Amino acid sequence: MTSDIQVQALPVQGRRRGIDFSWPTFALLTLVLSVLVLLPLFWLVYYSFRSDTGAGATFANYIALVADPTLLRAYGLAIGMALAVGVLACIIATPMAWLVARTDLPGRRTIRMLVTASFVTPPFLGAIAYEILAAPNSGIVNIMYRSVFGLEASEYLVNIYTFSGLVFAIACFTFPYVFTLVANALDKVPSDLEDASSILGGKSMTTLRKVTIPLVLPAMLAGTLIAILQALTMFGSPAILALPAGFHVITTKIWSLFQFPPRLGLAAAAALPLLIITVILLRAQKSILGRKGYTVLGGKSGTPRITELGPWKWPAIAFVFCVLSLTIILPYLAIIKTAFTGTVGDPINLSTLTLSHWRFVLFEFSATQLALRNTFLLGFLTATAVTAIALIVSYLVIRRSVPGSGFLGILATAPVAIPGIVLGVGLFLSYANPTFQLYGTIWILLIAFMTIELPAGYQQMSSAFSGVHPELEEAGRIVGASRLRTLWDITAPLLRTSVVAAWCFVFVGTIRELSATILLTTANTKLVSVIIYDLNESGDLGAICVLGIILLAASFAVVFIANRVPVLGGSQMNTRG
Amino acid sequence: MAFLELDGLTKSYGTLTVVKGVNLSVDKGKLVCLLGPSGCGKTTTLRLIAGFVPANAGEIRVGGKTISSAHSTVPPEGRNMSMIFQSYALWPHMTVFENVAYGLKLRRLPQSEVTKSVRTILSATQLLPLENRYPGELSGGQQQRVSLARALVIKPEILLLDEPLSNLDANLREEMRFEIRRLHDEFRYTTVYVTHDQAEAMTTADMIVVMNDGRIEQAGSPEDIYERPETEFVARFIGGTNILSGTRGDKDSVVGEGGLVLRCGSGSTAASGKTAVSVRHHDIELSSAKPKSADTNVTIGTVTRQIYLGSHRDYLVSIAGGETVRTVAPVNVAIPVGQEVWLHFPPEKCRALAQ
Repeated sequence: MTSDIQVQALPVQGRRRGIDFSWPTFALLTLVLSVLVLLPLFWLVYYSFRSDTGAGATFANYIALVADPTLLRAYGLAIGMALAVGVLACIIATPMAWLVARTDLPGRRTIRMLVTASFVTPPFLGAIAYEILAAPNSGIVNIMYRSVFGLEASEYLVNIYTFSGLVFAIACFTFPYVFTLVANALDKVPSDLEDASSILGGKSMTTLRKVTIPLVLPAMLAGTLIAILQALTMFGSPAILALPAGFHVITTKIWSLFQFPPRLGLAAAAALPLLIITVILLRAQKSILGRKGYTVLGGKSGTPRITELGPWKWPAIAFVFCVLSLTIILPYLAIIKTAFTGTVGDPINLSTLTLSHWRFVLFEFSATQLALRNTFLLGFLTATAVTAIALIVSYLVIRRSVPGSGFLGILATAPVAIPGIVLGVGLFLSYANPTFQLYGTIWILLIAFMTIELPAGYQQMSSAFSGVHPELEEAGRIVGASRLRTLWDITAPLLRTSVVAAWCFVFVGTIRELSATILLTTANTKLVSVIIYDLNESGDLGAICVLGIILLAASFAVVFIANRVPVLGGSQMNTRG
Repeated sequence: MAFLELDGLTKSYGTLTVVKGVNLSVDKGKLVCLLGPSGCGKTTTLRLIAGFVPANAGEIRVGGKTISSAHSTVPPEGRNMSMIFQSYALWPHMTVFENVAYGLKLRRLPQSEVTKSVRTILSATQLLPLENRYPGELSGGQQQRVSLARALVIKPEILLLDEPLSNLDANLREEMRFEIRRLHDEFRYTTVYVTHDQAEAMTTADMIVVMNDGRIEQAGSPEDIYERPETEFVARFIGGTNILSGTRGDKDSVVGEGGLVLRCGSGSTAASGKTAVSVRHHDIELSSAKPKSADTNVTIGTVTRQIYLGSHRDYLVSIAGGETVRTVAPVNVAIPVGQEVWLHFPPEKCRALAQ
């Protein structure tokens, strides 16, 4: 046996030095990402110093920013709204996360799944659901209230077209951010930390107060900051709920500056503070979460300690049910009901059930088919392009194959700090000029979506790459595979699941985008989200709900297919750490 | 004739130089161990040999051909080496068979030959019944064997091992040491083995290279390294030792600070200034009465600690001059703490160290 192995060493056939593609790839990606990220910001700053009427540099826009009371008021309201949303989301989400992660509450897994799934709900659809439920005249809740108590048509119980209504509607769809962060943090607090407190004599409430809560406090704060940021930069919900209420937040104000006569310089100047606030909030969040050894707990965690609720079980169930009803069950029921009945106020019985909205949306309304095609085409293109770019960038960054590749990572992460509406302004200014006549084509939307989704895609891919031990690739090299061959044979199969997940994530994010889209779309490049917004202006809620259901169904279908088809996702392997 | 040669090999990262001009020759078919504490540059040296990192200065030659220099680096896939990684680096999406066959497939061998070679090496490593398992379904020791089989099957010119046993538990580690040596005796590949465990190095190596701070402290057979250390670092790192410092006396003796004169049977003393003597723990003779025969290499001390370890007793004795000497004695030599005791350092066991 020894002798037949002990022959001359086997050389690798076709041994030669391959061309190193690292540098050209690096240069190309740097260029692409710079165009995506830096160009719109450059034009944003440039236009903010330009007068809308004549030529020449001017500070007039910045002066108007301070002097114009409507702009100041819009900023004030937006900040107030965002803070209120943050507080409300935190108050709802934290106890719920604790109940789900750390108690014997029945149905914990289902609740968690439901909340996670509600991430998929586009916030503007939530706002519309609340229009259906709680508009002062036509809202289902108010109609029922009046019929129960036999009141006048002018009476109402709740009114969503108010500042507090807006805060409530947004908080309903941002609390999952806080919930997920806190629940995950609670999962990670090792039970031995709590056991250590108990053994020293801490009663369970003392332990909760002195050990558990301080340990998840950073996650709470970070989640709240995210909710604040989401609310601050959101366009859809305020446009749907605040405009009828008669006030502007900053995103709707910037949008209104694009209406005739357009005041682009002022819009640019008004967008910049939003960018700065976002950067500050993100830095704050990072510094809270980045304090190592505090939130990021190493070591074996064991199973988290479960508190028995005992007699508190029923109030807890009531609380969770109440939250789920307000954030998921009622809105979805309202949307489904509206899609299948004649008008919002109709009672549900056989005679009011109708498919007329479906017929209208799918066959009669001329814009739908184009919008559906555009939406899914853009979703597909964006998801594919972003996943591909993110894959290569994270490879270059994680494996440090080129000096300076860290810069690419920064570029790919930077758009996270650019609110959609700000990016919309920047892209409009960059590509609506005669040099690049992209305005009015779907390419400007593709650029916008790629920029917006790049950070999410990059984050997913780079964490996937760090899960693949570099020695796995080195093992391929040393037994004779070239770098590209190693990538193909070893790295690619190991990353497949993550790539598919990232693709789905980007796709779902793209088809619901509205903030940047609203400034960049034209009659030829309508998207489903924009159609929904347009239909809302004309009050056609039935058609909106049909489109909303189509969007949601598409999102769930993509996620489902990705998880089930063996070629794309689940197979027997698991990546060893 | 040397097969693998490192010539003035240097590697730095920014201002930090981790490998500082290493010279080493390894004969064909020998197993050489790079041994040293963590951060001594041994793993970087191995990765330089593998071609994963380019050298800043110096050369690596295999069979007279330069494969690494400051100007050019043959990529790892062009070196016909193979390597066993600390994490084993088994591809989790391939079965045991596929893992082992991968390198052969890259060489475009016919399928029948691939199957035959893989089966042969799998039976040599006692893995044949597991060929259809995935790495995640194997124990640590089995994964280690797969990693060995995958490295050996391509008949590499040089085999590299990077702390291959550090992830195994103690019993398995001892077993695998002998297994690696057995496979080396069977296949006779030129092998470079990196470890920080001296027992591992002693068991497996033909030549041990002790590294410290990016340099080679000493290279030689296990006997050389243990019995004839040339520096204090090597003496301390390989097997416990007592280092007694002093100044050079007449001829081959060293005078300690407390007046103890140690005649040294081997080694060399520093020409001037401080010099040192190394005496292994078990070479010191301990007794309650003054030994009659000797007038040098003897001193009196006080027992400061005594531990019963079943097979022997472990003593700490403080001697004049403030130094503490550790020694072992048979179980029946039981001297309580605080009592005076005589120590005899046999000259043939005292090794003078110039540095």
